[in-house]
Amino acid sequence: MQGLFSQVAVMGSSGVLLCGLILLWRRGVAAYITAFTWQSVVLAALTAAVGYFGDDPQLYAVAVLLLAIKAVAIPRLLRRVAQRFTAGREPAPYVNTGTSLVVSGLLVLLAHAAARPLEAIADVPTRAGMPMAMGLLFISLFIIVSRKMAITQVIGFLMLENAIALLAVLATYGVPLIVELGVFLDALMGFLVMQIFLYDIHDTFSSADVDVLKRLRH
Amino acid sequence: MEATLPLVGLLAPWAVSAALAWTLRGPGRLAGRLTAAAGAISLCAAAWLWLNALGGFAFTAGPGALFRVDGLSALIAGCIAAVAGLAMLPWPGMEKGPADPGRSRVFRIFGSLFTLSMLVAVTINNVALMWVAIEATTIASAILIPLHRSKASVEASWKYILIGSVGIALAFAGTVLAYFDFVSRLGRREDALNWTLLMEVAPTLHPDVLRLAFVFLLVGYGTKAGLAPMHTWLPDAHSEAPAPLSAMMSGVLLAVAQYAIIRWKAVVDAAGGPAFTNQVLMALGLLSIAIGALSLVRQQNYKRLLAYSSVEHSGLICLGLTFGPAGVFASLLHLLNHSLAKSMSFLLAGRILARYHSSDVDRVSGLVRTMPATGPLFAAGVLALMGLPPFGLFVSEFLLFRAGFASGHVMAAAAALLLVGVGFVGLAGHLARMLHGPAPDGVEAGERGWWMLAPLAMSVIVMVALGLLLPDVVARLIGRIAEAITT
Repeated sequence: MQGLFSQVAVMGSSGVLLCGLILLWRRGVAAYITAFTWQSVVLAALTAAVGYFGDDPQLYAVAVLLLAIKAVAIPRLLRRVAQRFTAGREPAPYVNTGTSLVVSGLLVLLAHAAARPLEAIADVPTRAGMPMAMGLLFISLFIIVSRKMAITQVIGFLMLENAIALLAVLATYGVPLIVELGVFLDALMGFLVMQIFLYDIHDTFSSADVDVLKRLRH
Repeated sequence: MEATLPLVGLLAPWAVSAALAWTLRGPGRLAGRLTAAAGAISLCAAAWLWLNALGGFAFTAGPGALFRVDGLSALIAGCIAAVAGLAMLPWPGMEKGPADPGRSRVFRIFGSLFTLSMLVAVTINNVALMWVAIEATTIASAILIPLHRSKASVEASWKYILIGSVGIALAFAGTVLAYFDFVSRLGRREDALNWTLLMEVAPTLHPDVLRLAFVFLLVGYGTKAGLAPMHTWLPDAHSEAPAPLSAMMSGVLLAVAQYAIIRWKAVVDAAGGPAFTNQVLMALGLLSIAIGALSLVRQQNYKRLLAYSSVEHSGLICLGLTFGPAGVFASLLHLLNHSLAKSMSFLLAGRILARYHSSDVDRVSGLVRTMPATGPLFAAGVLALMGLPPFGLFVSEFLLFRAGFASGHVMAAAAALLLVGVGFVGLAGHLARMLHGPAPDGVEAGERGWWMLAPLAMSVIVMVALGLLLPDVVARLIGRIAEAITT
């Protein structure tokens, strides 16, 4: 049972990480949104699995919330934004695809190093997945800083949130429910405000490319 | 000690004020008065908590001691209530033209929510819920930045919400790591994330994991505190926001983020000694002072000048935390002084902007003649920020550098002192150009809305009092906090 649990945890967290990597080699906002949706679905499934194996029914509620907010509601809103004002393909990022993949490989290695003290003290069967959560965290940060389109940065930020949710569920079987609810509320409100700003940027600059946001750079 | 009433008095007025601003649509006057009343009640409650925390007590309220106020909470809550009360007055610089009830309504709703979430952040006992409250401040304030819709303000709010949210997300990762450490040692507990319990069990936690957590927490909350190199959003957001919001963001939001850093530092220090946290705080502090001070020389926009001065002072507060108990004392005093001086300066900058229609230093001249009261008050605010006597910031900077030299950090203290000197020269040059010389054509002379200046003149008096007397109620409270978090 423990062995199976540990395998499920590793598979699930690898799946979540792989969905994040798709952003590095695909071009096109629609593909990013699909990748994010699948990532959220895998994360929700993993959360439910941890709830089942770890015998913590609260996690079922968290999984349902994850599915509803991050796999259904937010992707739908993102698609609406994307249809409104993108030609589909985004301008070339600051870093090309090949270099991005190499950088992300290094980041995953760094994550393994950073997670070593965590794995050393953990006694949960899910501990082997923790470096992958860390890896996704670093890769999301990299995506946010290396991309030019505002909507891609938002997707990167949403993946960063997923990475932290993954870390929480692997390391501690989730934070206390009241905290979880607060985090969901903030995530949803934050996303809605970001979405308003996406429209604002487009209306005032007639472009969703953050390269035009240069007035204040000094 | 149970103290439900003062805590309700502190928090509830802002919730009520937001709800009333939401429902009352008519002419803004009534809503404005209600907001002012809310600010007054909240300030009284904060004063009560402050005075009673002098005895070293902590007050709790809510189920399972959800809220807890000790000296540090009372200090920052006092700053928040005072600055928010001041900023939520109907400032003439806020509205473009007298009749714009829609915009001031939005400001009252989200300004009240912003204040409420800051107050919750410093009074709640649970570290993760504190994180939720601080994240809520980002959302509430980001909505208000593009209130005067312009390209620059849309860009500033985008940068703010993106960098702020990413930073604060990292702070949550740090919180999760600390919780993980707790759980792997002591098992799952609902109250595991309470400050009181964390401090109690900190000596038994793993220093390695907590250090990793602290790096995440410092990057996260440091982003909100305007520490370099995560400060890039700050000059834009603080200069493009409407003046009262800038006053709150620069004056107290930075203090709230510093509060989170101070609390976490205490936990990590209790687990593995202060050497590690001091090193990283000192590095970030010095870098912030350097970037802030050097930008003060180059900047040509007076709102951005004030914003970069916040980066500098945020760095000083961080640096002071590493200088032992005397340094912590100086840091907290500096935090209090900076809240007052910076919020007042931003409110006055709003008045200047409303008159001159430009935030360019070169376009503002003859301030003493065109605005005979605003000009001198603004000068007082900027001189205070430069760290001149007789203002409070002089005393706190002096204490801070003395603590640095006395605790053996001679190089760090000397470097900071030099950089502060550079910033001083930069600010002084800009201020002199703004105050004197001929006024540009088309700017009328004379002062409107005199009564609005009374509370600002009061802040100048308080700043001087803090500088000359260092009242006992302040010194004793800060002394107690410094004692509590460094032992």
